[in-house]
Amino acid sequence: MKVSRSVKVKNSMGLHTRPATVIVKMLQNCKSNVHFTCKRETVNAKSLLSILMLAAQRNCRITITAEGIDADVVVEKLVVAFEAEFGERLA
Amino acid sequence: MYLVETLFDSHGERLGLELVAGRAGMSRQIKVPEAHRPGLSLSGYLKSHAGKRILIFGKVEIEYLYDLDPQVRVERLKALLETDVPAVIVARRYLPPKELHKLCEKYQIPLFRAKQTTMNLLSKLTLLLTEEFASSISLHGTLVEVFGVGVLIQGDSSVGKSEAALGLIERGHRLISDDVVKVKKREGSYLEGFGAELTRHHMEIRGIGIINVANLYGAVCVRDHKNIDLVVKLEAWDDHNFYDRVGLDENASDILGVKIPNHILPVKPGRDVVLLLETIALNHRLKAMGYNSAKEFNSKLLDLISTKKRKKIK
Repeated sequence: MKVSRSVKVKNSMGLHTRPATVIVKMLQNCKSNVHFTCKRETVNAKSLLSILMLAAQRNCRITITAEGIDADVVVEKLVVAFEAEFGERLA
Repeated sequence: MYLVETLFDSHGERLGLELVAGRAGMSRQIKVPEAHRPGLSLSGYLKSHAGKRILIFGKVEIEYLYDLDPQVRVERLKALLETDVPAVIVARRYLPPKELHKLCEKYQIPLFRAKQTTMNLLSKLTLLLTEEFASSISLHGTLVEVFGVGVLIQGDSSVGKSEAALGLIERGHRLISDDVVKVKKREGSYLEGFGAELTRHHMEIRGIGIINVANLYGAVCVRDHKNIDLVVKLEAWDDHNFYDRVGLDENASDILGVKIPNHILPVKPGRDVVLLLETIALNHRLKAMGYNSAKEFNSKLLDLISTKKRKKIK
């Protein structure tokens, strides 16, 4: 199963180390291969340095692509996490 | 999308370029990675003329233009510049005719003057453009130089790529990039790998975090780029899989259309991955020198069998 969704980085500081760590932790046990595409650069979303390499700023569009048995669940979880700014949103 | 501005910013100094006119057209896109000396096209013969290329005016072109009647000069230049030209460069710092100057302003085509001789400029520019337009890809893996051999270590996350690379660095080999390796196809025949600007010389080791290898182990342990000679895929040991025991069959990975020898290396406790990677690299060097251990062994065996047969017949 292949699922693809586009999300926007909402964190004010962009996709920095902390949110990237949250993503890597979230994907640690997932069975699918997950990739992020930003500005024509595609990287493995399970690797911390790969995500950081994107240096995605606020409002940057990222396409999440997951391929595997749990692809839909993984993408859905990621979309929710992006929306919630990885818990960084100020109350 | 490669713009004239990008070319000027990154290589302008090296090529000795000076912008004379057409600043408004700096955002023009270079669509074809070639430079072209107009030559015959200036005489008005534009059949099969290759447009969309950067035009280089050398001594002959400039002198020919000055010899033309001003009105004809404008007509010929107009016809030439209307072929979607991204930029015009005048070599040897010749003074461009004022008509060329005006037309470049009008059509918003950047006009440069370069210090270099025409042939030198043409070859340098062609080389630069070919490099810039070379097909490239980002791969998940770790690139290390082991005994001078560029080894791309691939495998699933947490299989131990970074740890293997760290072990190799500790033994005096060099890291090019960890996790993300950018690969460019050079001269259509070989691959060059390098790291992304931000993550270059950094590694992420589980349980430690992000480390800077150049600072920890010294500048001697890192390299900026290296040709990829071998691909080694690390995978968790599977008892049901039959791994290569002889080494007579050579597999290859296809990266950007280039075939690179590929080894599958199963990992399990007790197997010293660092030592195995060193052995693979050394064996590759030996093969490149014309000695294939497995083939040599096989031919020796076949010789022995045939002599035994002969003895039996006697």
